[in-house]
Amino acid sequence: MSKRYNLVFDGSIVEGENIEKVKKNTRTADGALILTNIESVPGKKIVEHFGLVSGSTIRAKHIGRDLMASLKNIIGGELKGYTELLNDSRRQAVDRMIDQAQQLGANAIVNIRFSTSSVAQGAAELYAYGTAVRVE
Amino acid sequence: MNDLTIIITLIAIGYIAGTWAEKRHYRSIEKREREFLDLPTVSIKNVNIDDAKVKKAEIVYGGAVISVDYFKRILAGLRNIFGGAVKSYESLIDRARREALLRMKAMAPDATMIINVRIETSTIGRKSHKKSVACLEAFAYGTAIYLEE
Amino acid sequence: MKYTARMPETNVNVTPTSPLREFFVLLSGVIAIIVGIYLLLGLALNIIVPRIPMTFERKMAGPFINSMASVDRSSEKAQTVQKLLDVIQGRYAKLPYTFTVYLQESPRVNAVALPGGNIVVFSGLLEKVESENELAFILAHEMGHYVNRDHLKGLGRVLVFIMISAVLLGPDSSVGNLLAQSLNITEMAFSRNQETLADEFALNALHSTYGHVGGSADFFIKLSKEVNAGLGGHYFSTHPENLKRIAHLKNYSRIHGFAEKLLRNIPAIINKKRPA
Repeated sequence: MSKRYNLVFDGSIVEGENIEKVKKNTRTADGALILTNIESVPGKKIVEHFGLVSGSTIRAKHIGRDLMASLKNIIGGELKGYTELLNDSRRQAVDRMIDQAQQLGANAIVNIRFSTSSVAQGAAELYAYGTAVRVE
Repeated sequence: MNDLTIIITLIAIGYIAGTWAEKRHYRSIEKREREFLDLPTVSIKNVNIDDAKVKKAEIVYGGAVISVDYFKRILAGLRNIFGGAVKSYESLIDRARREALLRMKAMAPDATMIINVRIETSTIGRKSHKKSVACLEAFAYGTAIYLEE
Repeated sequence: MKYTARMPETNVNVTPTSPLREFFVLLSGVIAIIVGIYLLLGLALNIIVPRIPMTFERKMAGPFINSMASVDRSSEKAQTVQKLLDVIQGRYAKLPYTFTVYLQESPRVNAVALPGGNIVVFSGLLEKVESENELAFILAHEMGHYVNRDHLKGLGRVLVFIMISAVLLGPDSSVGNLLAQSLNITEMAFSRNQETLADEFALNALHSTYGHVGGSADFFIKLSKEVNAGLGGHYFSTHPENLKRIAHLKNYSRIHGFAEKLLRNIPAIINKKRPA
């Protein structure tokens, strides 16, 4: 379960000690809520649902990072600063979605979708939404 | 000097009018959300319903375009220098999405439920910064299911 | 599958925050950065500018001046102003510059000191002056800017700021414009000291040229009477308040024992409007 969860979370395969790091950084890793991006939770039965839940954050990167990124654009390659920033923000968006689901009394969120859009110049919005359910 | 006065006035107007409009919009959103509370809206496709009982199924959608007020735009611009969470835009995008969902629901007030809901967000007209109107669109769509009584 | 209708208690997607407070915190941060850059830049320019050789300055300014198509330096009017300038340069200024006067058709009541000893005089100013002494004071004032090389300092600051703003915020950003506006205020505060020094230089020049300082304050007295005239607007914005300035001129003359005597008539050609 936690393995799949990590996949959903970072959009990248996290292995070995990194799993522990991700677990430490997120509230959901201790199993408070089950998150999936499929229609159901395998091995469990959905008994109740609460409708849509969503979480979003908007982040701007500071000017120093912008400058570093424009330099990096010359040689290409991964923009580590941006990857980190977006992952952090996405994690916050998921946390907010979880908060909302918990307020409704759910213990799982199924069929989660992520989307990213640029709202303002130089700022990115990370958005996660899914269906809050109670499973048994 | 004169231009500075204009900018300050715009910021003040943006703040006062923007805050007022936002409060009013939130009140309206919450009121309508309560009205539609009994209409289940889910992002899943497979709900355990008897196919024989389905009277009608149709696509429903709703969109809302919300513009940034001048105060928030300046605030976001300043935030852009330092980086971090652009808190001033959060309410904007939240309003756009909830409004889009509500408009989608308003297309099918008598439906039993709306399934497979998807939400898209996009910004409009940002090609040239000077003349563009900074605004964002939220668009929600799903399938409304009507069951026989 | 049962559906439970429930509203979330709080809006998790909107941070409860005070936008006004955030605005002022960020704005003061930006202003602090600007002031920091400004002061550093000021120090750097003060060190660099006196080290730029005059010949180099003139060479660099050449192409720029030549590209100004609408300037006039050969007409009789321009030659008359040039002659007056040469007299002041010969009698008092003796600056290591070769001064060249350019006339520019424009309603602006102003004159500008450009790099390389190039002084641009706007036709709006020439229509306003009433005596040779008055014009001489204005020319000497512009020459005074070259003594401290204010023209390079001011230009350098503006250029660097435009560059920084464009790099950081992109061209035409609304925040960039806001910053440019706040910059103008500091620019004004900075100019005041330079203007006062240039005024004092001009008074000395006038005294050496004519033996008295009559007509020195005429121009500012005229301007202060036209506070709302759009023509004088620009001169106002970058120069200290005229009344204070007049007071300083009188005071300075009194301390140094400069007298005021009869003014010389201005050559008729100066006031003549260009035929339409």
